[in-house]
Parts: sequence; C-alpha cells; structure tokens
Amino acid sequence: MRPAALDAPRIRASDRRFGLLLLAPSVLLLLLVGLFPLVYTLVVSFQQITLFEVDTSFAGLANYRMLLSDERLWESLLHTAILFSIALPLELALGLAMAQLFLERLPGRQIFIALLVLPTVIAPLVAGAVWRLLLDHRYGPVNQIVGWLWGEEAVLLWTVNPLLVYPAILMAEVWQWTPFMFLILLAALTNVDRSLTEAAEIDGAGFWLTFRKVVLPAIWPVMAVALLIRGLDLARIFDVVYALTGGGPGTMTETISIYTYVLGFRQFETSYTGAIAFLVIAILTVLVVGAVKRMGLAR
Amino acid sequence: MADLAIRALKKSYGATPAVRGVDLTIPAGEFAVLVGPSGCGKSTLLRTIAGLEEADGGSIEIGGRVATDLRPKDRDIAMVFQNYALYPYLTVFENVAFGLRARKLPDAEVRKRVGRAAEMLGLGPLLERYPRQLSGGQRQRVAIGRAIVRDARLFLFDEPLSNLDAQLRDEMRGELKRLHQELGKTFMYVTHDQTEAMTLADRIVVLKDGLIEQQGSPLDLYERPRTRFVAGFIGSPQMNFIPAEVAPGRGLRLSDGRELPLKAGRLAGIAPGAVLIGLRPTHIARAGAQPPATGVARLSVRADLIQPTGARAYVSFRLGGVETTTELEAREAPRLGEEFAVDLDLDRAVLIDPQTDRVI
Repeated sequence: MRPAALDAPRIRASDRRFGLLLLAPSVLLLLLVGLFPLVYTLVVSFQQITLFEVDTSFAGLANYRMLLSDERLWESLLHTAILFSIALPLELALGLAMAQLFLERLPGRQIFIALLVLPTVIAPLVAGAVWRLLLDHRYGPVNQIVGWLWGEEAVLLWTVNPLLVYPAILMAEVWQWTPFMFLILLAALTNVDRSLTEAAEIDGAGFWLTFRKVVLPAIWPVMAVALLIRGLDLARIFDVVYALTGGGPGTMTETISIYTYVLGFRQFETSYTGAIAFLVIAILTVLVVGAVKRMGLAR
Repeated sequence: MADLAIRALKKSYGATPAVRGVDLTIPAGEFAVLVGPSGCGKSTLLRTIAGLEEADGGSIEIGGRVATDLRPKDRDIAMVFQNYALYPYLTVFENVAFGLRARKLPDAEVRKRVGRAAEMLGLGPLLERYPRQLSGGQRQRVAIGRAIVRDARLFLFDEPLSNLDAQLRDEMRGELKRLHQELGKTFMYVTHDQTEAMTLADRIVVLKDGLIEQQGSPLDLYERPRTRFVAGFIGSPQMNFIPAEVAPGRGLRLSDGRELPLKAGRLAGIAPGAVLIGLRPTHIARAGAQPPATGVARLSVRADLIQPTGARAYVSFRLGGVETTTELEAREAPRLGEEFAVDLDLDRAVLIDPQTDRVI
C-alpha cells in the first residue's frame, strides 16, 4: 500500500470540499461548546455582573485590578501550589517504585495489580468522603491504629488541626492517584527492551546508572505525559479537599478551584469569577507550554 | 588451562527443563560454538553462563574461578546479543564506552580503549552517530565493539548474525573469525546455523533437548557423528538416511531387494536386522567407466528432482523407498527423469541402529 502522503496532492478540489462539509458539524459543535463559553467568560469578566443586581454595565479592567489586592485569591493559589509540588513528586516516586517492583513475575501479580488500581476508579468526591470517615477523630480507624502504635488513645483532629490538614489531604490524594502513575509506568517499563537492561547488567552498570541512561530515556515520553495529566489534575484539585476539609480550617486549605467555586456559586460574583477563571487559564497555559517544551514532547 | 568449566549444569523454566545436566570444558583461546535446533537449550545455557539466568544446579567456573553465584558484571565476560541491544539514546562512542564508564575508568583510558576498538572494527567515522542512524552491519560492529573494549576473559555471542541478510552474514562471519584470531580470547557462540558452526568453530557442541549430543572439532563431527541427530544436523545438504537390512555374510539389502556389497569385516559385530545407511550427498557419485572399487555399490536410479546451484547440482532420486540426494558437478548432472548409475561409497557411510538412533 502507498503511504497516504504520496496521494495527498492528487485529491481533487471537489473531494476536498466534500471533506470539509463532512467535518463542518463537529467543528461547529466544538466551537459552540468550547470557544463560545470562553469568549463569553472573557466578555463577562469586563462587566460588573453579580446575581444580586440588575446592573450589567461594563467595568473595564476593574475586576482584574481587584485580583491584585485579593489576598484570599493568592493564598488559594499558594495552597494549590503546595499540594501540587508535594503530591506530584510523591505520586511519581511511589508509582515508579511500585511499577519497578511489579516488573518481576510474582505469583498473583494480576490480582495485586487489579486491587492496587481500585482507588483510581472511585469518584474523587467519594474518596474524600471515605477518607473523612477514616480520619474521624473519634470513630475513625486511623486514629485507632495510631493509638495502638502510640500506646495511648490518640485524638488527632485530622481535618481541623492546622498541622494535620495538609498531611490528611495529601494522604487521600496520593492514595487515590499513585495507582494511576503506577499503571502507566508499569506499562512503560514493561516495554523497555529487556536485552538492554541485560546488556547494561553485563557491562557492570548498577541500578542507578542503568535507570538513568537506559530505562529513563525509554520511558520518558510516557512518564512526561503521565506527569502532565496528573499535574493538570492537581492544578485544579477540588473534590478530595472539598469533601475532606471544605477548604478549612478557615481558608487554610482552600485551593484555587474551591475559591472560584465559592465566589461563583456561593457569593454569585459572576464577573469577578470570570476574571479569576482567566487568570487561572493564563497561569496554566504558561505552565503547560513551558512543561511541554521542557519535556521535549512537542518535537 | 580451561577458561570455562561447566559441571552438571541444570536450568528449567517452571516445569519445563531447558538445560538438563551439561558438562563442558572450553580451553583458553578456543572458539566454541553451541549449535542445535530451536528450543534445544543453547541460548539458555549461554545466558546461564553469563549469569542472566540463575542455575538450578551444577557449577560454572570461568578462568578457574567459581562463578556460579557471581553477578554478571563480576564474571569477567562480555556478551553480544541477537538484537545487538545497543542503548538507543547514547552515541556509538558512549555505547562502546558504557561498560568502561560503569567501571569508573579514567576518561583518558576510556578514550584510548574506545579508539582502539573503533579502529579494529572500522567504527571511526560513526562514533558520534546514534544507533538508529546505523545499518544492521554497523550496529553489529558496535555491539562487538562494546564487548571487546572491556577486555573480558570470555566472550559470549547469542546468534549475533541471525538478523543480518545473507551477504552481510558471510562478511561478518569472516570478520568474527579474524577478530578471534587477533584477540586470542575464548569465544562461546550460539547459533542454529550449522554452516556458521562449521566455518567458525574450533569446537562444536551439539545440543539437543537440553543435553550435549556430541562435541568435537567440526571435521570430527562431520566424519564421525555418533548419533543420527548429529549426522543429520551437521553438513549441508543433509545426510541421506536409507533404510536397509543386514544380510549376514553378504552385506546390506535395500527394501527393494537390491544388495549392496560391503568390504569384508565392515559388518563384523553387527547383528542382523534393520539399519539406516547414513550417506552424505558428496559420497554418492555418478558412475564412471571403470568398475566400482570394493566397498562401493553401483546402482541404477532415476532422477526425479534437480536443483542447480551453479558449479554443482543437487540431484534427488528414490532409493530404498526414501528420497535420496547426491551432489554432482553441474556438467555430470542427468536430465530430469533420466536413468543413470550412481556409486555409493559405502566405506564412508555410517550405519545407524534405527531403534536407538546411535551410530553402530
């Protein structure tokens, strides 16, 4: 069979028109549900709409000026950054270690993999609620276990104590999403040519040298995509935190997604929420473009 | 001194035995070739020697040192893999240098050694390239370079030529033999190709079902096979096996009743009954004008298949109920369907007991 590229220049103009005609409905639909809300949000962010007043006049850059002085906003971004920068490396490291472990043909391997992947198939909101029960300071099994280990009754207020809320959130988050990393990295590692690692073994390379020079370059594209997916998920983290702490105590664990939600759907600051949404889009765009370039994915 | 001594080596995968008790001694500097059909355990044996597989029983000594429980990197071996196993993200230079860097040699020494190996193998202009930019033959050279640069005591080759096309394979075969002569190291080479085994080896080790069937020099195995398997495996085209009957006092009788006279004493000690006559195609000649010598049987046959190969031709005919092939000069070859007379050099034939498949 001839490669399609060779045939491409010979497509007739009428065929091309017909092709465009076939594509048109789906393109229109995408524009409608994707581009329209985006543009409309931009328009709204320049107005002064709140759902309590009828005034919808244009406010110019007032909403954007407000962003700069909104401390709660910048704090929520910081909270998001904290969760992001701890959870992502942790999930990567644990997932990689687990994948490496499961590379060997162990008895019952399939069953273990299936069990390990379970947390990922639970809805995040449910996972958050379950962890809230697990961490309950009076009836939760976590405190009970800590109590056994500690030797006396432990009363750890996981969702209230400022020192414990972040560990609690990270525990739930890492518990739920490490299996995702694990699964993807296991697939990538399984695909690494075995004779390469064997050749390195005979060449006298230790684990780290082999990993750095032979295994990592081979799994890198897959790993980068996994990091990107998890990174984007973490940047908009909502469910687990909302179910576990509701952003509290106070606003101590309020992430940018939670803050946006509260502003838009609790306080009905529609236009200001639009401005925040655009700020987040801008930040994420810069991050993603930078990451894609750094990771060499766009080659 | 023996460079490699294996005793009662066993290895199985789960319930499937791959190597079932192999004893083998390879003297220093020898080119040993492990040969056998696929699944005979030759690759497993090589991988166990390399330490990539753990032996279930027995011992391995490399250079007089027990290596059975050593890690591959401590065994003083180098290995060339069937698919070359070049590191795709390193340049040719770094590929060859990898083992030296892993052993933390100083940079100047690494450069010197890689340079020497590159010169030996003609890799000079390729050093900055990546494996994907090389042809099959060049990759093969890099893989060999990576092995020789380490200056190991024992070199292991796992079917290194099987991924090359026929012409390149012949060329690389010659290079490997020259390399062995230049390095003077012990080579252990696995192949399923008997031509490779014959041309390269000082010693051929024929493996079958995880056991050594026979070992010896190529000529030894060719001239004096001890079993039907070795007789059939070594030599191309394959040896003919013609069923016959030992007729006491008279010689051999084919199933069609024709009798083949033998030299006096050739059948001494052989019980009457069925035998297989193992006769190489080169030991069947077209009959000339002179009467046959003693020990040579002259028969009339009909050519039913002719395969010319240029200077020579393989001519097949039915004899004793089986298809039999002879190798003739092209100009001697009969026409298809032609009746012609052949001389069977029974002096050079081996007689095989069809019950035990062993040469009598």
